[in-house]
Order: sequence, then C-alpha cells, then structure tokens
Amino acid sequence: MTDWTSYRLQDFVPFTEQVYFRLMERMGEIFWPLHLLMLALGGGALVLALRAHPRSTLALLAPVWVFVAVAFFLQRYAQLNWAGQYVGYAFMGQAALFLLISVAGWGLNDRQAGLRGTVVVGVLLGISGLVGVPLATLPADGSWYQAQTFGIHPDPTALVSLGMVVLGLRGPVRWLAAIVPVLWLVISGLTLLALHSPAPSPFTAGGFPG
Amino acid sequence: MKTSPGTHVKLTRRQALQFFGGALAALTLPTGRLLADPAPMLTKPIPGTGQQLPVIGMGTWRTFNVGSDPKLLAARTEVVREFFRLGGGLVDSSPMYGSAPDVMGYALEQLGRPDSLFAAEKVWSPAGGSAREQVATLESQWGIPGFDLVQVHNLTDWRDHLAALQEMKTQGRIRYVGITTSHGRRHREFERIMTEEDLDFVQFTYNIAYREAEQRLLPLARERGIAVIANRPYGGGRLIKGLQRRGEAVPSWAREAFDCRTWADFLLKFIVSHPAITCAIPATTRVEHMTENMQAGRGPMPSAATRQRMVSFIESL
Repeated sequence: MTDWTSYRLQDFVPFTEQVYFRLMERMGEIFWPLHLLMLALGGGALVLALRAHPRSTLALLAPVWVFVAVAFFLQRYAQLNWAGQYVGYAFMGQAALFLLISVAGWGLNDRQAGLRGTVVVGVLLGISGLVGVPLATLPADGSWYQAQTFGIHPDPTALVSLGMVVLGLRGPVRWLAAIVPVLWLVISGLTLLALHSPAPSPFTAGGFPG
Repeated sequence: MKTSPGTHVKLTRRQALQFFGGALAALTLPTGRLLADPAPMLTKPIPGTGQQLPVIGMGTWRTFNVGSDPKLLAARTEVVREFFRLGGGLVDSSPMYGSAPDVMGYALEQLGRPDSLFAAEKVWSPAGGSAREQVATLESQWGIPGFDLVQVHNLTDWRDHLAALQEMKTQGRIRYVGITTSHGRRHREFERIMTEEDLDFVQFTYNIAYREAEQRLLPLARERGIAVIANRPYGGGRLIKGLQRRGEAVPSWAREAFDCRTWADFLLKFIVSHPAITCAIPATTRVEHMTENMQAGRGPMPSAATRQRMVSFIESL
C-alpha cells in the first residue's frame, strides 16, 4: 500500500464533529454581544463598497481579520489542530494586505457600482455571509450561540470579505486579495465533509467565484 | 437511619420489615453470582520484562482533542475514570493529537494518578524540538514524572529519534521504546526496523477487517520478543458502526464459544486473542462505550478455530 493513497480526508482532521461545533458555540458564548458590533461593521463595509469607498471598506475589514486570527485561530483552533496557528498567521497576513491596499490604493475600484455581474456576485456573497450563514448554521435544537457570525467565526468573515474584494478591487490585486478567503473556505468545506456534517458550509451554501 | 456516637439505634417496625424482607430476597439469589467477582481483566506480559499489561488500553486520537473547553474536559475525565475503574492500564497519545496530552493531564489531575497507568507517548518531528525536548514537554502536559513507553510516531525521522530514545532508556528516563505506523503504511520498512533495531514495542493497525500484519509483522514480533499494540481496532469507528447499523445481535455461536455479548466484544476479543498482540487501544468519547470496551478484556477468549470462523463471518457480510 503506498503512503499517499492510504490517506483519507478524515486523517487530516484531528477532532470530532462534537468538538468542532462546541468550538463554534464557545466563540458565540464568549464574545456575545460583540456579534452586534461585527454585524454593524460588516453591513457598513458593504454599504461603503457599494458607494465606491473601497479604501474605507478594506480599512474596516483589516481589524476584523486580526480579531478572528487571534481569538479564533491562535487562541482556540490551534489547540485542536497544529496547523491552526499557520492559518492564524495567514489571516493576519490578509489583514495586513487589506491595510496595505487601502493605504497604497492599488487596484481600487472606486467607480460607483452599477448593476453589473461582479456587483451582483459581490452583494450576494456579502449578504450570504452576513445573514445567510448565521441563519443556515443556527441549529434547530441546539444553542443559538452556534450560529456563525461575521467577525466572530472565520467562514462568514471570509465570505463577506470575498464579496468586498469582488466589489472594491479589480485586476490582479482582486485575485491576490481573494487567495486567503477562498483557500479558507475550501479548507472549511473539506473539514465539514470529513466530519460527515449535515450542516451547510459556505462552500456549498453561499458559493464563491474561483 | 442516622446515628451519632453514644446514641442507641431505634429500629422502627417499617425498617425492621424492610431489613428482614431484603435479607430473605438476598437468600433467594443464586449464591455463585452473588459471591463471585466479575472475571478479571486479562493481562499479557511485555516480552522484554514480563511486566503484565491489561489487554484493553485506550487511544486518544481525535476523541481526546477537545482544547480547553470545560464541558468537554469534564466529559473526557469521566471516560478516563471509567477506564481505570475497570482495570485499564495503557493510555496512548501523541503530540500530533492536538490537545490530547493536555486533556490527559487534566484528567489525571482530577482523578489522581492510578497505579495501573501505563503512559505511552510518541515523538513526532513536525511537533518541533528534539526527542528529548518533546518528551519533556509531554511530561509537563500529562503532569507525570516520566513515560513508560515512548514511540517514534509514523517512523518520522526514526533513526535520530530512536537513537535519542534508546539513550533516554539507558539513562532511566523512559522504560520502553517503540515505533508506530497505521493504515498499513510502510510495512516493509517497519519490518526492517523490527529486524535490525532493539525495540520493546511496535504499534500498527490490526483488526478483523485489516489483517495484513498476520503475514509478517505479527510472527516477527513473536520471534523478536516485541510487544504489539493494535491501533484502529474498530477501523476508525466504521467497522463497529457498520455492524451496529445492521441491527442484528452478535451470532449465537460466538455467544456460546466465548461469551460474546456485544460487537465490541466480537471485534476486540478477536484482536487480543491473537497470541502476538499485547494490547488493543480503542478510542471513545463516551463512558458507556468505554464500559463495553473494557468488558471485552474479560472472560473467555475465542480459540484459533473460532477466530477463523469470525473472519469468515465478517467476510460473508
């Protein structure tokens, strides 16, 4: 039996489904009512992006990514998965990238948004991250703290940010800024797949542009 | 009926009737069952030293990686409590298992360190640091002065790690050394190391649906006097869940042959009845499953002929 063909997806997820959902719930318990501020920030970022203020949009997103990097990945997820700290560093790198683009003004799309395809995709991603994911992850019979929220949990944070990247950036900078959010959404989707979870993932629920 | 020093006990009529009624009921029970101890946990000797090890141990992959969540820490502590209550010994973990070593440390802090604990850990290159540093970190995570067994996880950098572990064994820092693999990976290289190196333990996957080790590794372990830990006894959970989902009881011939009552009995007794296997390490998150696992280490074991029948039964499904 060769080494790599013997591995299954489950071999890369070192925790159980119960532990994964308890982590989501604990994030909700510990940081409530920060959710309200985060949702206001996310909504504000969406409005600013639609009004062609991409610098302000990215400046709002940067501290949110730092918070998720530290509070979710470095302080908690890394306890469960040794690779978690590297994802945390990647989230901090994404925050730095947002700040850098905002200050340097690279690839900004500061034209007023019309009803174009990219605008529709960006708005759909933003709304699915702000509203769709919390509703889709709200358990029927469990604690509402499990509902995943922008700025508290990584999946909706990545989804909303991807929408802002689609709306507020253009050219190669758009692709560059999309790498970490897309990669995380893929990893998260595969994790849920490995855990045999019936819960919807943004990977399948919201979708994202490749 | 409370008493205090210096007071006489006043027995009421109701209490007297309850007492004599209970005594009469007890007399009607079969005396053998009332007096007999439950069958003791089967143990097997570690070939190198003769030290006896209970045949059912405990794995921690995935199940004990719960981080710092107080609710889950308390739940896993209860699983450990049940393990030791029923005579458990070997607990196996790894720095690759996330917070599992810390969770074992938490449980041992809550429960005290049972005499029967046989602490088994691993060194694993991606965790960083030398073998010596990793063992020191793991000791502090478990909150114990030293490990009984340290193994090289999945053969990563095994030459360097094994040399360091042998040195630590010579210095009395650890008692036994070993190597591990799982899922049948790198068996050829594993066999070569078993032949060429001085090992106390080996750990690999062996269960009723995955018996490749019967061809070479198990006979070699017997020949070389190496203790064997069987990992993934339930095939990562899929084997026992698959059997339980069928909704059928264990076959009556298994019940008659070796008092097999549950699918856990069926799967675990198959493993630990192999003459070369020292111990199997099922992992669980639930106390009732731990109780079932530990039951499999007691009572009669299947004979060689019955083991063959068990294999045929599984292959016929």
